[in-house]
Parts: sequence; C-alpha cells; structure tokens
Amino acid sequence: MDTFRAAWLIACRDLRSYFRDRTGMLLGFALPIALVGVFGFLSTFLYGEGGAMGRASLWVADEDQSESSARFLQLLADAETVSLHPAVGEDAVTESELRQKIIDGEIHHGLVLTAGFGQTMEQGGLPTLRMLRDPGRTMEDMMIQIGIMQAYFGVTEGNAWPAMMGRQMRQLGMDDDMAKQVESFSESTLQLMRTVFPKSEEEPEAKNEELAGFDMQNFFTQMVPMEEEDFSPPDRPKMVTWMQAQSISGITVMMLMFGLLACGVSLIREREEGTMQRLLASPAPRSAILWGKFMFTAIVGFIQLTVLLTFGETVFHVDTFRDPATLLALMVCTTLAITSFGMLIASWAQTQKQAEGVSTLLILMMSCLGGAWFPLQAFDVPVYVHYAMRSTLTHWAISGFQGMFWHQQSWLHPAMLLDLSVLLGFSVLAACGSLLLFRRRLDA
Amino acid sequence: MNQAPLLQVNHLRYAYEEREAVRDLSFSVYPGETLGFLGPNGAGKTTTLSCVCGLLRKWQGSMQFRGQEFAPGKSSKQRALLGVVPQELALYGDLTAQENLQFFGRLAGLRGDKLRQAVSRGLDLAGLSSRARDRVSTFSGGMKRRLNIAAGDLHSPELLLLDEPTAGVDPQSRNHIFETLMELKEEGRTLIYTTHYMEEAERLCNRILIVHEGALAASGSAQELAQSLDLPDANLEQVFLQLTGRSLRD
Ligand SMILES: Nc1ncnc2c1ncn2[C@@H]1O[C@H](COP(=O)(O)OP(=O)(O)O)[C@@H](O)[C@H]1O
Ligand SMILES: [Mg+2]
Repeated sequence: MDTFRAAWLIACRDLRSYFRDRTGMLLGFALPIALVGVFGFLSTFLYGEGGAMGRASLWVADEDQSESSARFLQLLADAETVSLHPAVGEDAVTESELRQKIIDGEIHHGLVLTAGFGQTMEQGGLPTLRMLRDPGRTMEDMMIQIGIMQAYFGVTEGNAWPAMMGRQMRQLGMDDDMAKQVESFSESTLQLMRTVFPKSEEEPEAKNEELAGFDMQNFFTQMVPMEEEDFSPPDRPKMVTWMQAQSISGITVMMLMFGLLACGVSLIREREEGTMQRLLASPAPRSAILWGKFMFTAIVGFIQLTVLLTFGETVFHVDTFRDPATLLALMVCTTLAITSFGMLIASWAQTQKQAEGVSTLLILMMSCLGGAWFPLQAFDVPVYVHYAMRSTLTHWAISGFQGMFWHQQSWLHPAMLLDLSVLLGFSVLAACGSLLLFRRRLDA
Repeated sequence: MNQAPLLQVNHLRYAYEEREAVRDLSFSVYPGETLGFLGPNGAGKTTTLSCVCGLLRKWQGSMQFRGQEFAPGKSSKQRALLGVVPQELALYGDLTAQENLQFFGRLAGLRGDKLRQAVSRGLDLAGLSSRARDRVSTFSGGMKRRLNIAAGDLHSPELLLLDEPTAGVDPQSRNHIFETLMELKEEGRTLIYTTHYMEEAERLCNRILIVHEGALAASGSAQELAQSLDLPDANLEQVFLQLTGRSLRD
C-alpha cells in the first residue's frame, strides 16, 4: 500500500471521529469565534476608529460651581482626547469620593476644581487645578493633559496665554525678569493679533466653537512648517482600524494553534489507547501514520481558519476576500506551519498531558511575542526581544495577515513573500523534526 | 512434523533497556497448527509476539517465514502476512463496530467486495452483527474483546497472533471466543495463542510451549508434557506449576 493512500485512510478515520464529537467540534469552532469577536470588538475602543487615539476617561469634582468652572468643564468635555465623567445628568462627585474611587481602582484620573477657580480666573490669574491619579496609568495621563490644556486655554479665551507662557518659562529655570519680559511680549502679540483679527461681535458662538476645536495635538506641530499627507492603500476598508486588523490576525492565529493542538494530540491518543499497535502492525508504511495525522490536522486547520476569517469578514468587514490568491497562500502556509508545530510536539511528548502542558505554554508565549495580544512590533524593544519575536511562527503569520488586511500587500510583495517563505521553511523544518522523533520512538 | 514450518524463530533475545525479557527462545509454528504459548505473568509472551509481528525491532536472533528471512518491523509486505490481536484492546471507541472493522480492513489493503465480505464475516465472528452500527464505547468488555479478535483477522492472515484474547471476560464471552478460535482452527488457519487458562490451551492447542523467565521451559502436546515430567495423570495446570514454580509473579 502506498504511503499516501494509507495516510489518507488514517486522516479520514480521524476526521470521522472529529466530526462525530459534535459538542467538542462546536466548542472547537465556537470558542475561537467568540474570542476573535471579543478582541476585534474591544480593539475598536483601544485605538479608536480610523487608527486615531481613543479617549481617556477623566472624572471631575467641581467644588467651585461658578460660571467659569462650568464653561471649563464644557470645553473639557468637547476635547477630543478626553471623555468626561460624571456625564450631564449624572450625580456630581466630591473630591473625597474621587480619592476613594481611585483607591478602589474604579477610575484612574480625578480632577478637582477647587473653590475660587472662577474668581482667580476673573482676576486674570491662573487657578491651580488638582489632579488625583493612579500612578500606573501614564498612557492616559498624556491624553488628559492635552485635553486640560485645551480647555484651560479656551476658558480664558486665550487671555491666559501670556501667564501660561511666563509660568512655563519659570518652570524651565528662567529668572523672574526674563519671564516677565516673555509675558509682556506674549501680551503684546496677543493684543496685536486681536487688532488684526478683531473679535467678531456678531458671532460670539463661532469664536467659541473655534476655541473648542482648538487642537492641542497639532498645536506644536503646526509651529513648524510642515505639509502632512496620509497614505493608505486605495482599497483599504474605511471601517477597519489598524489595531482591529492586528487583533483579528493575532487571535485567529492563536486560536488556530489551540485548535490544532487537539488534533496533533490524536497521535498520542493513538498510542495511549493501544490502537497505535494495530497501525504499526498493519501493512501500511509507518510514516503514513504521521502523514495521516498531518493531513487530518491540516484539513481541520484549514476549515477552522476559513470559519474564523469568514467570521472576521462578516462582523468587522476587514475585506478578507479581496485578494483570493494571497489569502489562499497565507492560509495554506499558516496552516502548514501550525500543523507541523503540532506534530512536532505530538511526536516529542510521551503523554497527552505533557503535550498539552508544553504546547499551552509555547502557544501563549509565542502569541505574546508574536503580537497576538498587543502590537509588540509597534514598540521599540531591546534587540534580544526583537529576535525572540522573529523566532516565533506567530510573528510571521500575524505579520502576513496584517500585511494583507492593513497594508493590502499581494502575495508577490517582498514583505509578504518573506512572511510566506518563513512560514513554509518553519513547516518543513518542524515536519522533518517530527518525522525524526517519530522514527526514533519506533526504533524500540 | 514432516512439514516445513510456517514460521521459525531461532535464538530470539530481547531486552528493554537493562531488563532481559526474552532470552534465547527458539520455536517453530507449522501450517494449520494452533500453538499455545503459556507462561506466568512477565514470562515474556507479549514481548515475543511483539518481536514476531514487528512492533519491536531491536531483537537479536533470526526468524524465517516459509524459509525466507523475516523482519516485519522493516517490511510492510511481511506485515501483511500476519494478523495481530493485541493483549490490550485496540479499538476506536467513538466509531461503530462496523466502522472499526472497515478502517482496519482498508488499512490491511482490502477494498470493495472483499472488504464488505471481510467486515460482515468479522461482525459475524464477533457475534456483533446486530450491534454493527453501535459505537464501541457502548460495548461491554466481552463484546470489545470479540471485536478485538475480529479486527485482527479481517484479511485472513497466514499467521494470526493472539495475545490473551480471553483475558478478563465473562464465561459466555470466553466460550464464544473459544468457539471462534475452534472455528478458525477447523478452517485450517495457523494460530499462536497465549493464555493463562490451562484447560482452554489443553483443548485448543496442538502443541504447547511453556515459557518461563524469557526462556523455553518445555514444549509438546499437553499429554507429552505430562509424561515428560513423570506425571502421566496430571492436568496441564499441575504441569505448569511444576515447571514454573509456585511463587507469585507480579
Ligand atoms: N515496555 C516495557 N519496558 C520495560 N520492561 C517491560 C516492558 N514491557 C514488558 N516489560 C518487562 O518484560 C518482561 C516480559 O514482559 P511481557 O512480555 O509483557 O510478559 P507476559 O506477556 O508474558 O506477561 C516483564 O518482566 C516485564 O516487566
Ligand atoms: Mg502479556
């Protein structure tokens, strides 16, 4: 009997058992779908639509209750980097409640407008704000500061500008005389600007809106003459965010690994249940046992990948099927790489427990390093982490899918070719390794 | 016997790492005979059968099948000459009886009509024709044992190796299995058969090998064995205890 036919028989036997266990099979499909769904959905908030930053939530206790403080809060609510709490209509909170909420971990930033805020402001001073914060949340800190700066600037209609500049210079170590000069210079330029662009009496609302729309994120970049151009591949779907494409790629790859682990382990079950003796004693070539498991695992993997990607397409509109050739190449290479990985573990391990333990650890580690959980590639990491990332097959699979979803690379694109060939190379190496291990075990 | 042996095993030795399980065992099986392989637990019966069917490959000595050098661990053609009924049940619980037989039949190279006939004969042999479409996981121990035998004999191999096929089943199933083996014997099939049950061996086997600590302790028909020990009226069990001692084995 030739190896292919024997392997095919063994694969069909496994498929029959696999699809017979309805509950197990449905779980095998439903869990990955659920996870891809959750991660895809959550990543929308993580980086916002269209790849922009999301908003950081900021809680405020207004103990001043003046007209100025109300206007300040309104401007803060309009700022793009902050989502303000309590929202209109919700119960106001006090400073001590804010402190407790931070300790309890319910919130991470609490702003207190102390009594006298409005009065100081009317006298032309800079009222001090009190920020209560969870020191671990540095990421949000930046966004909140941007929002506050915008509102602060806006609430004084720009009048605080000279004082803000003076304060900044003093902070930077400038002596008082110099700082005062900066203040008066700022004052003069402000006056000059007011003269050249007189405040329109008829349209006070428009002025306000303009201020509210003041974009601190771009404020400093606008000081330098710079033209900005956005580049996106022409076909990239509008709804997809970078983070979402990353999440869908990452979780799909990770779940595929878990799904295929169960199939690879069927090699070990064969041994534990004694049926391996019959397979070995049969006239079928012995390597057909391994290839049969390989076929079975790869077929299930391909089906799972199709289901997961179809799900991603249906719910998140990542435009999966735009380029069928690239999609197919990626699916085949990814499935092969993960299948060989599963076979390698299965032929190395003595028992099912060993196989599951080791591969769970490896899958989680590779998923983390490969960027399935958070986009590690996007950060500047030490060089050894960089190499660790690139040694995982998840990295290349995710990079391939991300390349297809976000960068719209075709399979002929050099970066995509690299991803595909690394995956294929990994498959060949792991398959040879598992064949060696399998042979060695037979040589008893 | 004036015939040429079907299988001849010469000076077989096998060691698991340090432990020598088979030491210098030689025997022959002649076409159409049922050879009983008797020995206490740990005597090396399973190990010997595993060497013969190629599950173990690093044995020493030599084997000939119909006069040809025999190493089934390395040749799939030679494996096709044998049928194996492992001591441990070797069936897929999530498949039905029929599906199990179909799979093992295909793996043994059967197709089409031959396969269909072999499967229905196998189900018949196991007394499971009425349960053909039930999953094996729902079967009793005895039913599984019977199917286990049928699965090894699907392709009607020239030599069928049965390792304790009646271990741990109720008297009804034992009786069924016993009759099955009788039937195979009457068809002229060649069997090697290991067991603990003396009266089974006494009734079924043309010749009996008594193995003790990996070596041959005695061989011959039950009668010859008794006579050789000067215990002409003794039954096989008494002969067995005489040859292998009375101490516990496990
Ligand atoms: N896989 C194994 N590894 C190590 N020792 C083994 C193994 N299988 C059997 N043995 C040892 O080899 C000897 C012969 O065992 P076995 O052939 O199973 O005996 P029997 O089938 O006659 O009960 C025993 O001492 C047993 O403990
Ligand atoms: Mg045994």
